[in-house]
Amino acid sequence: MRKMTWAVAFLLAAAAARAAIPAEQDDCLGCHTDPGQTFTLASGEGLPLWIDQAAFARSVHGENLRCTDCHSDKSSDHATGEVKFKTRREVTRAYYEQCKGCHFANYTKTLDGVHYAVMSKGNDKAALCVDCHGAHDISRPAQPRTRISGMCSRCHHAEADVYARSVHGRASAGNPDVPVCTDCHKAHDTTDPRDGALAMRTPEICGRCHSDAKLMKKYGLSTGVVATYLADFHGMSATFQKGQRRQDGKRLAAVCTDCHGVHDIQKADDPRSAVMSANLRKTCARCHAGASETFPRAWLSHYTPSLEKAPLVWFVQVFYRLLIPFMVGGLVLQIALHLWRVVVNR
Amino acid sequence: MNHGPQILRFTFRQRAEHFITMAVFVLLCMTGLPQKFFEAGWAHALVEGFGGIDRTRWVHRFCGVVLALATVIHFAGAAVTIWSRKAGFTMAPVRKDFEDAVLQLKFYLGMTNRQPRYDRYDYKQKFEYWGLVFGNVIMVVTGFVLFFPVAFAQLVPGQIIPAAKVAHSNEGLMAFFVITIWHIFNAHLNPDVFPFDASMFTGKISRERMLHEHPLELARIEGRPVEELAGHAAPDHGPEHPHG
Repeated sequence: MRKMTWAVAFLLAAAAARAAIPAEQDDCLGCHTDPGQTFTLASGEGLPLWIDQAAFARSVHGENLRCTDCHSDKSSDHATGEVKFKTRREVTRAYYEQCKGCHFANYTKTLDGVHYAVMSKGNDKAALCVDCHGAHDISRPAQPRTRISGMCSRCHHAEADVYARSVHGRASAGNPDVPVCTDCHKAHDTTDPRDGALAMRTPEICGRCHSDAKLMKKYGLSTGVVATYLADFHGMSATFQKGQRRQDGKRLAAVCTDCHGVHDIQKADDPRSAVMSANLRKTCARCHAGASETFPRAWLSHYTPSLEKAPLVWFVQVFYRLLIPFMVGGLVLQIALHLWRVVVNR
Repeated sequence: MNHGPQILRFTFRQRAEHFITMAVFVLLCMTGLPQKFFEAGWAHALVEGFGGIDRTRWVHRFCGVVLALATVIHFAGAAVTIWSRKAGFTMAPVRKDFEDAVLQLKFYLGMTNRQPRYDRYDYKQKFEYWGLVFGNVIMVVTGFVLFFPVAFAQLVPGQIIPAAKVAHSNEGLMAFFVITIWHIFNAHLNPDVFPFDASMFTGKISRERMLHEHPLELARIEGRPVEELAGHAAPDHGPEHPHG
């Protein structure tokens, strides 16, 4: 009966089509009113008890969640009695579990993520739902998209600083085309990049944007980078090594990030870029020990062989494109004639 | 067809060379073609079968080195044999081969009832042999360029390396086609030898087949003019093949 009442109250609130806290909240907010109000936990940390009503009302849950939807263990007399949490982190870990009640799909994804993996190994700081999304003030994460990188940078400062100086990071403010952290690393099932499995997927990850004709045209970039990479020795090898990990010093084929960098990617004509022609020999030599100044010329710099760009390679290609059909066609024709004669003479 | 008196056509050494070439050629195709067609499902299945791309490449390189050595040993052996006059340079392409080819094609087209009389190797066999020789040279040279790209880049312009890759992959594909289409037809599906010409493995060929396929060599072996060869079924004299 009580539930029904609340449902009616909720519908009325929704019908009013304005940010309004369901009436039940009054019970809770009767106490949690004082901005300075804290509870001292066993660890000595102060747990803020104040709820910013305005922030909650603005949040995505403001209109449709009641306090007890998440704080389901709280009864009206919870101010007395034993407090089972010793640290603030314990409080967070206890209540983040509530998210899966509604957001089960994304919660399940997190179980495959690196944050969950390190948490289950005992890392208390590993990001939980609320660490990225917030608690009472949750808003849609990609508005604006740069907010996502901001969230990650709260823990991953070093990477965020490098990214901010890269060609992507510098352009990211106000530009929805530029990749933010989660575009490569994924949001909930965040991949652990340290074993190199993510690196082996970069031709596909980078290719999502860099082979998109409309997007690349906007920036005057070539869409052939993935195809030309795959057509070369590195790309072919990487195709066979998909899903492998760079563990135990295992050497796998060079992928996008091995030459272009990871968070520090710059334009190819930027003097800081590892693929800038003046730096290329050094970049090649990271794998090809003893690479001479002429060695980088073995790589066609993502160009399709043509009379202008790589005349020798182009010539060999054309030669075989003519020779193979001529040769095979001629032999097949002679076999056909031979068999035809055998049949006719029979 | 292989009944009756037998003649030794291939020495043990020739048979051994053929067997080694055949074995490494099959392995080279199995380890090389998946690298050319790396997007195909069968390519991944084959590479998995060899235990990953790295092992596949080592098998490929090992077989390539074996083929390179076999080629060098073959040339050296052939040179010694020819210089010591133990055997003639029977593989050399001569004017008659071109005339034979024209006559044979005319026969296939029904323009004549005459067929060429062949010596030890007919023009098809010479064509395949020299195709293999030149193909091997291209494959071995470009293969070593791809095996040691850093070293070669110090000696030749860098662009040689991608050019060698294109040549290696296309020449390899062409060799695969020539062998699977042409060689398999001539050694297996050709009605004259169907289902299997075993002479390259047993070393022996029947006198009857020699009479039919290599009458000029048979005449030389038996020391009499080709017209007087016993059997008198030399193909020069009519369209009917002496089957049976």
